[in-house]
Amino acid sequence: MTLAIAERVESRRDKVVRHFALTDTIFHWACRSAAVLVLIILGGVFFSLVSGSWAALSKFGPAFLTTDRWSPVTQTFGALAPIYGTLITSGIAILIAVPVGIGIAVFLTELCPRPLRRPIAIAVELLAGIPSIIYGIWGLFVFAPFLQATLQPFLIEVFANVPVLNNVFAGPPYGIGILTSSLILAIMILPFIASITKDVFDTVPGVLKESAYGIGCTTWEVVRRIVIPHTRVGIMGGVMLALGRALGETMAVTFVIGNSHRLSASIIAPGTTISATIANEFTEADADIYVSSLMSLGLILFFITFIILAVARYMLLRMSRQAGA
Amino acid sequence: MATIYPRRKALNGLMMGLCIAAAAIGLAWLALILGALIYKGLAGVNLAVFTEMTPPPGAAGGLLNAIFGSVVVTIIAVIIGTPIGILAGTYMAEYGRFSKLTVVVRFINDILLSAPSIIIGLFIYELIVRPMGHFSGIAGSVALAMLVIPVVVRTTEDMLNLVPNALREAGTAIGAPRWIVIRSVGYRAALSGIVTGILLAIARISGETAPLLFTALNNQFWSSNLNAPIASLPVTIFQFALSPYQEWQQLAWTGALIITLTVLTLSIVARSLTGRKEG
Amino acid sequence: MTQMVSLDKIQPQQSVGQPKIEIKNLNFYYGETKALKNISLQLPERSVTAFIGPSGCGKSTLLRVLNRIYELYPKQRAEGEVLVDGKNILDRDQDLNLLRTKVGMVFQKPTPFPMSIYENIAFGVRLYEQVSKSEMDERVEAALRRAALWNEVKDKLHAGGTSLSGGQQQRLCIARTVAVKPEIILLDEPASALDPLSTAKIEELIDELRADYTIVIVTHNMQQAARVSRQTAFMYLGELIEFDDTAKIFTSPQEKRTQDYVTGRFG
Repeated sequence: MTLAIAERVESRRDKVVRHFALTDTIFHWACRSAAVLVLIILGGVFFSLVSGSWAALSKFGPAFLTTDRWSPVTQTFGALAPIYGTLITSGIAILIAVPVGIGIAVFLTELCPRPLRRPIAIAVELLAGIPSIIYGIWGLFVFAPFLQATLQPFLIEVFANVPVLNNVFAGPPYGIGILTSSLILAIMILPFIASITKDVFDTVPGVLKESAYGIGCTTWEVVRRIVIPHTRVGIMGGVMLALGRALGETMAVTFVIGNSHRLSASIIAPGTTISATIANEFTEADADIYVSSLMSLGLILFFITFIILAVARYMLLRMSRQAGA
Repeated sequence: MATIYPRRKALNGLMMGLCIAAAAIGLAWLALILGALIYKGLAGVNLAVFTEMTPPPGAAGGLLNAIFGSVVVTIIAVIIGTPIGILAGTYMAEYGRFSKLTVVVRFINDILLSAPSIIIGLFIYELIVRPMGHFSGIAGSVALAMLVIPVVVRTTEDMLNLVPNALREAGTAIGAPRWIVIRSVGYRAALSGIVTGILLAIARISGETAPLLFTALNNQFWSSNLNAPIASLPVTIFQFALSPYQEWQQLAWTGALIITLTVLTLSIVARSLTGRKEG
Repeated sequence: MTQMVSLDKIQPQQSVGQPKIEIKNLNFYYGETKALKNISLQLPERSVTAFIGPSGCGKSTLLRVLNRIYELYPKQRAEGEVLVDGKNILDRDQDLNLLRTKVGMVFQKPTPFPMSIYENIAFGVRLYEQVSKSEMDERVEAALRRAALWNEVKDKLHAGGTSLSGGQQQRLCIARTVAVKPEIILLDEPASALDPLSTAKIEELIDELRADYTIVIVTHNMQQAARVSRQTAFMYLGELIEFDDTAKIFTSPQEKRTQDYVTGRFG
């Protein structure tokens, strides 16, 4: 009798064991496939861009990168203007946002009264999550008219007789243009840089800072000689990450760049970026070669951001290893 | 000593002043943007925004079809992206914790996490829109799902990695197979963190415009057909803001306010979820 | 080799019962590092055996071979034979989940699952058995009684397992292990994270459980080994130095190193 029960239990166990072996294998493979899918997505992005841009790249060749003629009418396309616009807007944005962002991080970690520290840090982080279209619409309706009336006439006038700079700040104040886009980008990546820098500043061991204060360092000297050297790699990683964002940013720029394929030495003049060109023209592109040229722009952007982001991740990885060790 | 110290002190004062100025200007600037958004957006908030369709040029109307479209496209994106993200994150933190594949996937996922979203739009255009021959809501959803996946992968992996190994061993030692340990012990312990990740992913995609521009496109009218172009709030804002019509511009501001409040609410809820776990 | 011979000589008398576990020429590797060197020993049924030795001697590693929990990690592997009831558990065809229902384990730090006290116990039972609600209630109560925890938790069975004190959590873990009806229970320094009072309770519990289970306990606390175990194995640098009745190990060890250790001269 008890033997029979024991046998039944035994056979049920066997069934359960087989069931578990099966379900575990299935779940394992489901997880593994999902992980591989992540790789496939990035591969898919790359291959779809290559195949989409094949027609344009094979027609225009390397000249695609070096000419600035962008004419849907004659169906000749060159990417120089958007590439230039992308690099110059992101470059200016980084130049402005990095010092200010680091300043905010120093303020938050060293100067801010303790009760305010968390609320401000949280506010900065929340702002980093605001969609870029918000910055774009604000730039178009509020910021550009403001610049048109104030900063741009001022710059044009001040530098009117200074060689070189009079070309950089030349032209009628349109309001929209390269400079406006750069400033909007700077504002947009500011909370991002500030919060990532604050995070890496927080990894500096308290004892290290205390011992520097202990030998009579001022706050600035502690920041300059201890905190920044200690976190250099992490800050660089954060900056690169922000640069990656700025380079690929679409909506904040599209509203205020002016979408002009003319290359101009003036940063007040309208221009375009890769992403703004794609956003503005893709649905209007009628000819295959036009679509393909826009795809080529996408491929170029993909390459640039991939490299920047890879370097950024590598640096942040080094930083976290250093913090862990 | 006597001569150096005042200079050091002055330099310190100067630099700290600059830092405070940076913080003040930066935060004031951001406050200015939010202020303008609230001021301009609130001016257009009324019942019609939530009950009427997007109007033809020059007429009054609302954003109902755009809001509806955004909700539908977002929900489907989350339904597609979340399981994939959770499974991939689970692989990285559990089955593949020590494998090389995990290292590679983590790196690639981090790149996807900050890859320009407009490129994702181009990818889905090539993958879905071109073969199908027309723009569609489902293409928009898939494009947004591509943005959900890396966020969910990242948080799932991070949160499962926080589950102590001892707990995993204890579950295994009781005779449970790996997947039951993951389900009943891992997911349960990491639940609030994973939910946070999903909320953050929703916050991220609810304002995304670029990937929708040439996948879901836009639609002036009410449509719930996923096989056809569908309206969305961000694309409607984009189109209306760049138009010369007063009514459209006002709706764009109001739409922008709605999106911002949604994103901020989601982020705050997400934050409070993990906050409670830590506290 | 000499050690092998001496080992045979010093096997404890088999009066305590048949060997439940028979370890033969066991080697264990963490990657390239050899952590266990040619271990052979026999653990009798329904009896408490203690593994002692300085940290890093391999006592925990040896314990973790007995339910193959080390398989969770890559690059860890065991060679040799571990016979449980005559069946080599290191065989490829050994189902690991089934092995672990037979060989339960309690860890150094209490590890309640993130669920209620009731569910903590029901979880393991439900895995391999179909049990009705009332039967499950009985099983949970029996397990908690067995772990001397019932009176403390019977009014809050649906509270979270983590709401208990450290000592209670550890007894919950023992209850959870007992509930799936194992034959062998492995205890990995079960009291090292607990206060003296809780430790005493755990030791009392071990004393009660030994009538029904084959118990193996790893401890760095020699008094504890002396109090709870019938046999003691002394390990050092991955080798089994001496294995004998606990009384003998602590009073008249054969090996100089054992004597040095139990008298506190090193480790």
